[in-house]
Amino acid sequence: MAKPRVGIFGLTSCAGDQLVVVNLEDELLDIVGAIDLRSFIMAASHPVEDEFDVALVEGSVVTGEDEERVKDIRAKSKLLGAIGTCAVWGGIPGALNHVGRNTLYQAVYGTEEDLFKAREARPLRDVVKVDFSLSGCPVEKHQLVQALLSLLHGDLPSFPTVPVCQDCRFKENVCLLKTKGQLCLGPVTAGGCLARCPSHNIGCEGCHGPLDEVNFAAEAALLEEKGLPRERIARVVRNFAHQADLARIM
Amino acid sequence: MTRTIKVDHLSRVEGHGRIVVEIEGNTLKRADFNIFEGPRFFEALCVGRPYQDVSMMVSRICAICSVGHKLTSVLALENALGVKVSPQTELLRDLLFQGMSIESHVLHTYFLALPDFLGAGSAIELAPRFPTEVKLALNMKKLGNTIQELVGGRAIHPINCVVGGFGRIPTREELLGVRATLEELLPGAVKTVELFGGLAYPAQTQEPSTTYVALEPEGPEFSFFGRRIATSKGKVVPVESYKEIADERVVPHSSAKHSLPGGEPYFTGALARINLFGDRLTPRAKSAMDAAGVRFPSTNTLHNNLCQAIENLYSFERALEVIDLLLRDGVHAEEPVEVKVRAGRGVAATEVPRGTLYHEYVLDDAGVVTYANVITPTAQNQANVEKDFRSYIERSPGAPDDSIASNLEMIARAYDPCISCAAHLVEVKRT
Repeated sequence: MAKPRVGIFGLTSCAGDQLVVVNLEDELLDIVGAIDLRSFIMAASHPVEDEFDVALVEGSVVTGEDEERVKDIRAKSKLLGAIGTCAVWGGIPGALNHVGRNTLYQAVYGTEEDLFKAREARPLRDVVKVDFSLSGCPVEKHQLVQALLSLLHGDLPSFPTVPVCQDCRFKENVCLLKTKGQLCLGPVTAGGCLARCPSHNIGCEGCHGPLDEVNFAAEAALLEEKGLPRERIARVVRNFAHQADLARIM
Repeated sequence: MTRTIKVDHLSRVEGHGRIVVEIEGNTLKRADFNIFEGPRFFEALCVGRPYQDVSMMVSRICAICSVGHKLTSVLALENALGVKVSPQTELLRDLLFQGMSIESHVLHTYFLALPDFLGAGSAIELAPRFPTEVKLALNMKKLGNTIQELVGGRAIHPINCVVGGFGRIPTREELLGVRATLEELLPGAVKTVELFGGLAYPAQTQEPSTTYVALEPEGPEFSFFGRRIATSKGKVVPVESYKEIADERVVPHSSAKHSLPGGEPYFTGALARINLFGDRLTPRAKSAMDAAGVRFPSTNTLHNNLCQAIENLYSFERALEVIDLLLRDGVHAEEPVEVKVRAGRGVAATEVPRGTLYHEYVLDDAGVVTYANVITPTAQNQANVEKDFRSYIERSPGAPDDSIASNLEMIARAYDPCISCAAHLVEVKRT
């Protein structure tokens, strides 16, 4: 069987999810041996961009160039995966989507002129069809390897949708929210990170994006009891996922 | 007749960059290093938020130097809030920085830069030809990540480093584990300096008139930390006055702002640090530098690759020193220092792998950010990259287009540009 033709791409982003690929020190040589890696501009010159069986795309769609690029990748790819919270949810660059671009230009560049044709930071699914998603800021190594293995077996990657709280239980962590009243988004955030932040006594920052069917209202009520105002909770929930449905908090 | 030479999407760098050169007759019309990463308005994101939210946001400016952004923002906020941390916290932060330096320098030297010198398109292509070297590089890179993971809680976008200290302190056993791997790979770090000292660096990238800028170490030893900025022209200013050095302006072809102190480009990064303070390196790094066959100070931009290899060895030695100090004093559980919220301005600068990084925050009396400014090394270097481009083309006017293009790529790559960082977009007035 021919090796699957793979492309790894970055739109506007910090390149963290592509860096996770490069950080697979123990697995990297086996992985590139099992696939036909045709384009990975961050790590290799001379990309060949005709057709892909799988495209992994990091980043959010911010500029006109991003939009053209992801549409072009989509047209050339059988499967397209959104990799990282920016691609899945818009990520941190989307946290100011409710503020006009001209206001931001004024604040940052001292001019309202649209210098770089920037728009709101959009997740890939707002622009192209997405076949599978892996969130995380950055994505977790073990989940990325699992996704690649699924693809090599001809399956679409899928991950259980459980909250960070479940990971915390496995780690036998003391609940920061209940015992210390610390702002922790664990109950409403997709797990899979093995509760990294709570395991370091730091409240979950919500970097994997909201869980499906999430009960924001219960989280908000719990945090409000601990003296944290709803405006603050709403803002923190929106840091990584500006499309999170806040109607249920506010 | 106008010749246009373009590199549409610079490969083997972090982020999206483009080179455009126009030569009309015998005159160079433009030599631009474009950054077309989309703007993300990070400073605007910080304003109006409580200080506790800042570090986790600005870490996302860039993955490769996320430890740098995280810790530099924490240091600036601590300056604003008047927070003094414990000696153990200072040592752990130093160790965290050495982890970043090892990971980043190994990534750049072996995976991004070396293929140019060996006629390959990537390190993956190099693996069958140089299995020992590629394996060594992967092992050293993994060690850098292991240190960041242990001390930072995550190799990319660390979580454990906060205002006042750390959420979790590594155990003695964990530190001993890292120590053993450092010892094991130390000879490889020495070999790396020999390898990069032995490469043929084209001489036409010499740029004699550039200024080199780095933080002055506070003690007699080489360091990535300091409170004063030094230049090769003899100027020294406190970090609070960083705008005297790193002044930014918007240029039309780039979404990153350029830094031009007094209108003059300058170089920041490993080459600047070694040029200015290489005589203060740890013993093995110093003797490897002296044996490398290049005399410092050097004005050849491509020697930045060698300087990163030297600094990688320094980071091995320094990490071992720090771990020994931690073990000598006995690592102990400790919560972050309690913060008394107050209004204030805080500036901090650190030496991150690509050069000096500046963070500044102003807080109101509720601890909410009213002003934020971040100036990254790549933004500072951008004008100097273009100066090197012009200098190279003026020296080689008759070279064929593809040779000019590949040489310019090599020059740009030598700076280890971090384009996501540069395009974070900074506060500033347009001039």
